[in-house]
Amino acid sequence: MTLITSCLYAFGGSFAFAFVFNIPKNKLVLSAIGGLLGQLTYIIFQTIISNDVALYFLATIAISLYAEILARVTKSPTTLFLAVALIPLVPGGGVYYTMVYLLQENIELGVTTGLHTLGISGALAMGIILVSSSFNLIRKVMIHNKRKKKAVAISYKE
Amino acid sequence: MTGSQLSHIAMEIGVTLLSNGAETYRVEESMHRICMAMGALSAEIFVVPTTIIMGMTFANGDHMTRTHRIHTRGINLMKVEFINSLSRKVCYEEMSYEEVLTELHRINSTPPYPYFLQVLALGFVAQMFTLFFGGNFQASCIGFVIGVGIKVQTDVMARFETNIFFINIVGGFIAATVALAASGLGLTSQMDAIIIGSIMTLVPGLAITNSIRDIIAGDYLSGLTKGIEALLIGTGIATGVGIPLSLLSAFVRV
Repeated sequence: MTLITSCLYAFGGSFAFAFVFNIPKNKLVLSAIGGLLGQLTYIIFQTIISNDVALYFLATIAISLYAEILARVTKSPTTLFLAVALIPLVPGGGVYYTMVYLLQENIELGVTTGLHTLGISGALAMGIILVSSSFNLIRKVMIHNKRKKKAVAISYKE
Repeated sequence: MTGSQLSHIAMEIGVTLLSNGAETYRVEESMHRICMAMGALSAEIFVVPTTIIMGMTFANGDHMTRTHRIHTRGINLMKVEFINSLSRKVCYEEMSYEEVLTELHRINSTPPYPYFLQVLALGFVAQMFTLFFGGNFQASCIGFVIGVGIKVQTDVMARFETNIFFINIVGGFIAATVALAASGLGLTSQMDAIIIGSIMTLVPGLAITNSIRDIIAGDYLSGLTKGIEALLIGTGIATGVGIPLSLLSAFVRV
């Protein structure tokens, strides 16, 4: 039950953030669904994978795919969907606990949490890089093929 | 269309994109495409988050350089979206100088969401993320109050052109102080969830996204600049939260 409500909270938070970013009216809900999707992926894979960083990586891949596909369909910038959907995955808790442990002079735990937070941020970056680069590659290949076909058609005509 | 008119349109579009939160490569690509579609022979555009430099040559041998310094940057993705579709339209359809200018003016004067709605939205963000990180309903209401307070504080400080580092220190300070006071008064026992939830309102989501996307596109300079901005904001928040936690926790039993 708490797992389902956490998805709803992620959706609500993303939806409110979409207002702050001034996202156009017709795309408010679409961009907030990205936030829900990230949390949902995290929860689903939690049953199989126990590694936190890998879970964040998978969740980022899911939201990047969602954002890239939606950007192609609606012909609008990817950032519109990605920035909002990424917010629930940002490790705010990690940063906070790192600082609390360091303030309590619990250096060992502080450094461990800090490195873990760094790992999560790296996973977010890698997830976005992987999906966006693949999409760019596919687009470039498609443009290349289209040009080739055109050139062939022209040479046939001549 | 004359060369100076063309450069005017391209520069206006680039400036609007860059100062409202578009990625660097999007600005460069849009400006380049517009220049080429409207009759420049070649166009070289260099964009970093604070400056646009544009040089172009024309078929009759003229050349022209224009620079623009960006002083204030905000987040308004509505304008980015509209400008994006405008520049697509400019590239594929014939549009006169006046038509593009009126269209640009219309986009620039599109009002953002009303201010009270944005304040409420940020309060709602804090409330939702307090719940998200395991707080109960009472804790989330305190989070809502902090979120509203942080929004007003950031806007007031941004109006006086305070640097972004200090704004976030004060934001984190407010979040931790109010949460500490609330738990000191016995209103809640979930101080951690309230603080984490309310500092999520300060998280630089767009800076992180844009920095990663810029680095993918090969604009390492802009990517690093934005990445460092995100890192500075994060450090600022942690510093701001740390001050009351270390100083006031002597007085408040947590």
